[in-house]
Formats: sequence, C-alpha cells, structure tokens
Amino acid sequence: MNETELKNIILQAKQFGFSDRQLGYLWGVSESDIRRLRKRLAIVPVFKTVDTCAAEFEAFTPYHYSTYETESEVRPSEKGKIVILGGGPNRIGQGIEFDYCCVHAVMALREIGYETIMINSNPETVSTDYDTADRLYFEPLTFEDVMHIIEAEQPKGVIVQFGGQTPLKLAVPLERAGVNILGTSPDSIDLAEDRKRFGALLEELRINQPPNGTATTVAEAKTIANRIGYPVLVRPSYVLGGRAMEIVYDENRLSTYMKRAVQVSPEHPVLIDKYLEDAVEVDVDAVSDMSDVYVGGIMEHIEFAGIHSGDSACVIPPRTLMSETVDTICAQTITLAKALHACGLMNIQYAVTRRDGAEQVYVLEVNPRASRTVPFVSKATGVPLAKIAAKIMAGISLASFGLPPRPTIHHIAVKEAVLPFLKFPGVDILLGPEMRSTGEVMGIDTDFGRAYAKAQAGAGMMLPEPNPPLDKRQVVISVTDRDKPAIVESARWLAEMGFELLATGGTFEFLRQHKIPSKRVFKVKEDRPHIVDIMKNLNTALVINTPLDASSAYDELALRRCALEHHIPYVTTVAAARAAVLGIRSNLKENLQVKAIQDYFST
Amino acid sequence: MPKRTDIHKILIIGSGPIIIGQACEFDYSGTQGCKALREEGYEVVLVNSNPATIMTDPDLGNRTYIEPISPQVLEKIIEIEKPDCLLPTLGGQTALNNAVALAENGILERHGVELIGAKLEAINKAEDRELFKEAMNRINLQVPRSGYARSVDEAMNIIKEVGFPAIIRPSFTLGGTGAGTAYNREEFPDVVRWGLECSPCHTVLIEESVLGWKEFELEVMRDLADNVVIICSIENFDPMGVHTGDSITVAPAQTLTDKEYQAMRDASIDIIREIGVETGGSNIQFAVNPKDGRMVVIEMNPRVSRSSALASKATGFPIAKIAAKLAVGFTLDEIRNDITRVTPASFEPTIDYCVVKIPRWAFEKFPGSDSTLGTQMKSVGEAMSIGRTFKEALQKGLRSLEIDRFGFGADGKDTYVFQHQLVFEDPQDSSYQDPSASYLKEEIIEKLKRPNPDRIFYIRYALQIGLSIQDIYQYTKIDPWFLVNLAEIVDMEYQLRNVKKDVVEWIREDQKIVGV
Repeated sequence: MNETELKNIILQAKQFGFSDRQLGYLWGVSESDIRRLRKRLAIVPVFKTVDTCAAEFEAFTPYHYSTYETESEVRPSEKGKIVILGGGPNRIGQGIEFDYCCVHAVMALREIGYETIMINSNPETVSTDYDTADRLYFEPLTFEDVMHIIEAEQPKGVIVQFGGQTPLKLAVPLERAGVNILGTSPDSIDLAEDRKRFGALLEELRINQPPNGTATTVAEAKTIANRIGYPVLVRPSYVLGGRAMEIVYDENRLSTYMKRAVQVSPEHPVLIDKYLEDAVEVDVDAVSDMSDVYVGGIMEHIEFAGIHSGDSACVIPPRTLMSETVDTICAQTITLAKALHACGLMNIQYAVTRRDGAEQVYVLEVNPRASRTVPFVSKATGVPLAKIAAKIMAGISLASFGLPPRPTIHHIAVKEAVLPFLKFPGVDILLGPEMRSTGEVMGIDTDFGRAYAKAQAGAGMMLPEPNPPLDKRQVVISVTDRDKPAIVESARWLAEMGFELLATGGTFEFLRQHKIPSKRVFKVKEDRPHIVDIMKNLNTALVINTPLDASSAYDELALRRCALEHHIPYVTTVAAARAAVLGIRSNLKENLQVKAIQDYFST
Repeated sequence: MPKRTDIHKILIIGSGPIIIGQACEFDYSGTQGCKALREEGYEVVLVNSNPATIMTDPDLGNRTYIEPISPQVLEKIIEIEKPDCLLPTLGGQTALNNAVALAENGILERHGVELIGAKLEAINKAEDRELFKEAMNRINLQVPRSGYARSVDEAMNIIKEVGFPAIIRPSFTLGGTGAGTAYNREEFPDVVRWGLECSPCHTVLIEESVLGWKEFELEVMRDLADNVVIICSIENFDPMGVHTGDSITVAPAQTLTDKEYQAMRDASIDIIREIGVETGGSNIQFAVNPKDGRMVVIEMNPRVSRSSALASKATGFPIAKIAAKLAVGFTLDEIRNDITRVTPASFEPTIDYCVVKIPRWAFEKFPGSDSTLGTQMKSVGEAMSIGRTFKEALQKGLRSLEIDRFGFGADGKDTYVFQHQLVFEDPQDSSYQDPSASYLKEEIIEKLKRPNPDRIFYIRYALQIGLSIQDIYQYTKIDPWFLVNLAEIVDMEYQLRNVKKDVVEWIREDQKIVGV
C-alpha cells in the first residue's frame, strides 16, 4: 500500500465519521498512533459554518462544525482567546447547572476583553446559542475533537472546571498534549479525588474525615467494617456519582452486598466509610484565587447525610447549626482551598454530628470545580460565583471584587430536587446515595416554612393547608422504629392543625404512648381495607412513610407508588416530614407573598 | 408593520424545574425571548421556579420572580407588576397551561393583560383533540381516523371507518392501563371489552394505528401580515410509536420525495393559518404511510418546543428570538438575520450539511425499569452533531453521548465481536461470537423489534450476522435509506480491517522516525 492509497482510505474513514479511537481499535494500535499518522499524512479536519444560507451570503457569526474536506471557513483572530468546554448532553447528575456556569464564564471573560470560544454538543442549551460566545463549535467533547479546535484556534488557555465531569476528564490528556489548563491544576484535582493522597492531606491539616478503609477482599471488608463500626457506607472505587453505593447496618448485609453488587478484587477495591447516622450534611461553595478565599454559600441539607446531595433539599443560610460550627466550616474551607491551590470554584461537603450538645465537623468530599449548587447559591446570595471564578482564572485577584468574607442575607432560600419517578412505573421512590433527580427549584421567602412550602409547590407538591376540609384531612403515618421518636412532634402539630392521623401498627402504638390520637389502619398484607385502599379514596392530604425493613419492602413500595401516582404529597424521611409540617404551619395560601429577586438585593 | 407602541411591559413565564420532557431548551428560548424584547425597549417580567436557569439571572429581565409557577402565584405577580401582556409560548407546556388557566379564570381580563404570541382560541384548537380534528377536516387534511365508543356495538361501527390494525385506549386511566392493539375482527371485541372495563367512565377511543409509519416534523413561523416560513424539516429515524424525544432525529428530512415534501410544506402553512397562531413558531408533526404515501397530521404545538431549539441550532435561525419579535408586531421581512446581516427573517434557512440528534437515557439509575421506548418520553437529554453526511453526523453524535462509545460500534465496547471480521488475528478471546449461532439471531431480532436505547448498535450486529436490509426494515420499520447508510459504515469498517497489516507497518515506521 502506497502513501496515496493509505491517505485515501483514512480520509474516507474520517469522512464516514470514524474517530481515531475506532481506527486504533480496528488496527490494534493506540489513538495517539493514529493521530500521529494522520498528521503526517496531513489528514486534519476543516471547519465549516452554520450560516442559514448554505454559504450564499457572508456569515458574521462564527458558528462552526468540523468535517473532512479541503477548505476551512474559520479565520482565527489574533486576539487573546479562551476556550470553555461545555457539559455535553444532559443526564442525571449533570444538567443545566453546568451550562449556567459555562455561560457565566463566557460572559465574564467577554467583559474583561477575551475572545471566548465555546465547545459543546447539547442543542438544548444557552451555551450553544450562536451569540453567547464569540465563537461556537458544535462538536463532541472528546479529546480528538477538542484538540482539533485547539490546534486551529491556538487559545491562551482552556477552562475545564465549569462543565461537570465531561470536560473534567479531559483535563489530564489535554495538559499532556501541551494545552494550558486555566484554574486549579489537574494535579490538585487528582489530589482531591485520590483517596490516599487526600487522606494524608487531611491528616496533615488536622481536619477530620469519617473513619474509612479500602478493601480488596471480602474478609478485608469485614475487618475494616468491624474496626470502624457499623453502619458503613460501601461503594466500588471505580464508579462515580454514587452508583451502587449502599448503607450497610450489619455483617450479613455487608456479605450480601459484596457478593451481589460488586466483584471485589485488587484492581477493583471497595471503599468503606463510617456512615455518620443522623448527621447533618452541609454543602459549601467557595471561590479561591490561591491567596484569598470567599466562602460563597453554606447550605444545610434537610435530609440527613446518606442521601445524595443532588437529591436532598437544602437551605441557605444554615438553620440549625451552632455559630461555632459555621465558623469551623468556614475556616476549614479556607484551609483546604489554600492547601489544594484551588484557583476558581470549589465545593466541599461536610457532615456535622451532634452529641451531648456539642457538634463535630467531618469533611466528606472536596471537589475543586464548579458544583451543581453554584447557580442556587448565586441566586440566593446575589453574588455571581461562576463569573467571579472565571475572572480569577484569567488572572484577576479575588480581593479586587471587594467581597465580604461571607455573604449576609436577610431571607431564606430553599432548594428542592425534582424526581422523575412517575415516568418509571414500578420503581421505588425512596431517596438514597445514588442521585436520580433531573432538576431543582428554589423557594425564597423570609420564613423557613413558607420558603420550604414554595419549594415544594415549585416541585409540583402542594402541601395541604391547616384546618383542612373533612374530605381531605387524613395524614397517613408509617415510620420505622428508629424514626418514631423524631416523628412525635410533627404528628402532634398535625393533629393540632385539624388533621386526622392514620397510622400502621407500630407507629399507632408509639403515638398512643405519647398521647397523640390516631386511628390504626392495616398494612397491605394484614387485611382490608388497608392503607392503600384508603389512599385510593383520595381523602389523604399527606403521606409520611420512612423505609421499615426488607420484609415490608413490597408493602411500602405499593404505598409510595400509590401516593406518587395519585399526586398525594408524600415525604420519605423524618427531616422532610418536619420541614413539611413547618411548611403547612406557615399556611402558604393565606400568607403567599411574591417578591422580585431584584428587590431582595436592592439595598 | 412596526413594533407595537401601545404595550410596554411583558410577562414571560418559564417552564420550571428540569423534568423528563421539559429540559433546558426552555431556558434557551426564555433567555432569547427576554433579550430580544429588551433590545426593543420593552420591560420584561420573568417568572420561573428554577434557579439554575440563565433566564432568572437578576440582570437579564427587569423584574425576576423565582416563585412556584401556578395561576395563584402568577395572579399575585400580575397584581404587583401590572404587565400589558403575557407571552406564554416560550416556557413549554407549563407556561401554556398556566396561561390558559389565567385566561379561562378571567384573571387576564380583570387585570387588562393581553395574551400575545398565541390567543386562547388558537391554543385550544391546537390542544383539544376534537377541535383539532374538526379544524383539519375543514382544510381537507387527514388525521388518524378515530372515534369514541361506549359499548362493543358502537365500537363495531367505528372500526368500519378506522380499519385494522387499531389502537384501543380507555379514557381516564393512569399510565395507559387497559390499552391494546387489535389486528383483526376476531380479537377486536375482546380488546374493546377489556378497555371499557378499565375505563372509569366506560369509554374507549378507537384509533387507526400509525405504528411504524415514517414521522416528520416541520418548524413553521407566521407573522401578523400572514407571511409564513418553514424553518426546518426534521425526520425521525425511529418510526411512529417512539416519542420524538426518544427518537434519533435528522435534519433536514432525508427520505421524502420533493413532491411529498412540498405537500407537507403546503399542509403546514394551511395548518398554522387554520389554527390561527397569529405570530411566532409552531411545531407540526406528520406521519407518512411508507406503503402508499398517505400523510396524516399527528399534532401541532402552538409554541416553541424542544424541536424548535433543535431546529434553531441546526439552522442558525433563532426561532425563539424571532417569535418574541413577531409577538410585538414586527413582520418577518422587517427582522434582520443576525448571521448574514443582509437577509431578512423571511428568508428560509438552507442547509448544506446533515444534523443528527440522539437522545441520552438514564435507565441505569432506575433498576427494574423497563427500557422499552414508546409514546411516553423517557430520555433525560440529547446530543446534536453536524457533518457533511448522515454517516459522519451519526458517528459524531454517538461519540457525543457520554456513554463511553466512540462511534457506530467498532470501538472496543461492543456487546458482540464476531470471528469472521478478524482476518489477520486468532480469535483467542472467549467473547468472540460465531455469527452463525442461531441463538444470536434470536437475541438480535428481539432487540430490533423492541425499540430500546441500544437498538442502533443492534442494527450493526444484525448487518454483521448477515440479516438483509429488507429483514431489518421488517423488524424496525426504520426507512431503508438510513439502513443502507448504516450498512455502508459497516462495509467501511471491513475495508479498514482488511488493510490492518499495511497500516500497522506504516505506523511502526512512523514510530521509528519519531522515536516512540
């Protein structure tokens, strides 16, 4: 085969859309071998323009795509340019929040005179609007496709920390290829993600994390669990985003998990962390320029730690934390940002445990990049974190923004997750360590109950009003033993507000002991009319059901699906039950106030 | 016609949280609409409960309410802000439904708020099944034949009109309980009886089945001077029966004859006029019977939709922005195209490339859920890609999906790897399959018949084990034009495999030169 024949077949393959990765696979060589060969043969893509008129008229908005032909329509400018990598298609865990951050990065960099180049493949977004960035490339976010654009444009740097996992995983390969990654270095990102390195860093900084270990065999897993004590949080090390993560309460369950969920081996170890029961989870978003740190928002989660932060409701400012704890969290955030040389956005998850009137802070995770909560924090506090971070990454100091050490706000903002369970018949609606929400809403008000009720309404769950009509006053309560003490006060308030409580066996007994009137109802397996029959008659105003145990799993699934499908408001944690009761007490209908976001920050 | 000077303040409703079926495309359209109206000097009031949107940025609108979207909340906002009009067509079904509720409750009238973009009558005509059917009859366009029955006898009369196969849908049941398909006169009464039993009001809809027909969409815009332009045609790779949001779609349409396309264009223009969407964009869906070319109208969205976002990105024509300008009185010929700066918005876009959109699903997050694709949308996102040909765009699209695939198979991630492809290698790996194994054929055919997220890759396996285009068409009803293109990719793959030895030699030499 001569050079022309070789060139022809590769060119034709590229015109058929084959990636270097595919060619490498088909020929048993690496992607970089193909890349090198292509370059030697001068097979590189050209860029064409999306111009509405099939090139009949000149186009003034550079909106491009690559293809393998002869003439390129791109005329790169000589200006200082920055490439922003987008987030690709929306999926669970990676949604609109990252597009928001990318668009803000573009706006901020344009403000300070850079030419911005956006690369993304998601047609639903603002970032792929032709007039958002100075130039738009509608291309896959793979190493090969991104490198072609970088080679054509020769930018000053590339921003990978705003588009979520998709661009983040390109950080190392791009840096190896000699591309300047702006902001936190790929090594710092690795330091935060590598369990061993990160553990050592925390020890050095004297910051607590939950006791943990890494197991490569089933026996090792048991030893670790016994050392740190049950319950433990177990997950495979090689899966991101909380997949196959589980909270395990005893050795039996641990064995089952190790057998069923994961194939543990030295290459695929299992991570085991102490699960901090009833801990309050706290999310922090911060901006850092390596010398200064701005703690942009401290969010207290409503559901307890163990439920994925993306599926949990949260509130700004923190509601129940002691002020010393908030100070500790701020101080640790600043220490960690500096230790990691974070440049740009950073998100830290903490857990706070309470014992004998004292609060203890643990670090769960540090992500030196844009998080899902950046837009929420920015809207709740009035400080555009993503814009500030983008400018910092371009070399502007944090000090020049004149921000206070942390924001002070005089209102309450609640974020609630929106879940797609209705679209998946038969699937349980319980929340867990794996994220499943598709979106979020915000409720903002001056009172927590009202802000929470607004967030629920925004998420499609209208909480009932106090003193309900006779045909809509039933509240179904069925909670696990561990949750029973925590439900008492909520139940009492509901009774006081004129609701009729219906409880299953154990819960009924417990409420009776606490002198709260309720009516006993049958579980599905006990007799009829059972709890689901009652709910189907549509007199139910609220369902409070926390998971009991495996034996009643089926029963409860029927109950929860029934609530979902008949649009009956439901909560599956005691913390959410309490917040919902506060929401009902705030009586949104009577007290509904609306206020423009501009008015919250007008002073 | 110049822009209206009698209005000053405009309320735009967003679409709320991201849910399946209503994603960030409405942030895109809301943001564009808001920018376009402020550019013209109007004051804009925005409402959206979703804080992760660009449209709720405090400096985008003049007044921004991050509040739950409900008629009750909207009324409060109207009381405070006293807008002159409400533009309900940029915030998906959520905005449209709320606008209809406000109009029907008399709230808009009470506060002197005018609906712009789409009037109540037009919205109802487009959304109400019966009104829509009547409207289509008036302009001599067909919709799938159908009728309501309350008894088996009534059903027997209706089926004479409708013909087989027919879909029987009980009214007012959750999640399609009791629905069924009847293929012949013998089984029909049983399916109807079961449907009647499932329906709380003892009524079933009997509808002509258009399953397996080709599906198309046209994006249409109209102004107050009654000019109509077609922005983009979109063809669904997956035929009728799979929700557009769950279909691979291609722009422009690839398999229509010019005559068919012109008929569809004419129909679209008649429809937008008959429904009475005065200004703005609409999305119209058609089904075409591949056997005889019969065209029926499936539905019309009198608002900006997911497909409009796709059409905007595919053509460079900003539908939401133009829709907002049309709503305040401009005509298409008065609005300049930002890209060319010389052509007006009445100049229909022309495409000299191919665009492919592929849905992104998340079934792995919902263990136990059924991954069969049907009329209810299940995907959570989508990727779009652009190439000179369908083949190029499809492969780029597949590697954009973030599912760890790098094209139409042949990337080391395939479920099946067949022995006969390995011309120069020993099949030592135990995962290599003998393509003639009979169980394989069954497995593959099952995946072809049942629409599912991996079907596209199973078409490749089907080609590899020697199923013909005609066979694959029978199982999938995917137009042979697409299947031929897929087969060409597979042929190319074989050609590439065949030159492996030569290429590897070249690469070795290359490595020597650069010293790797």
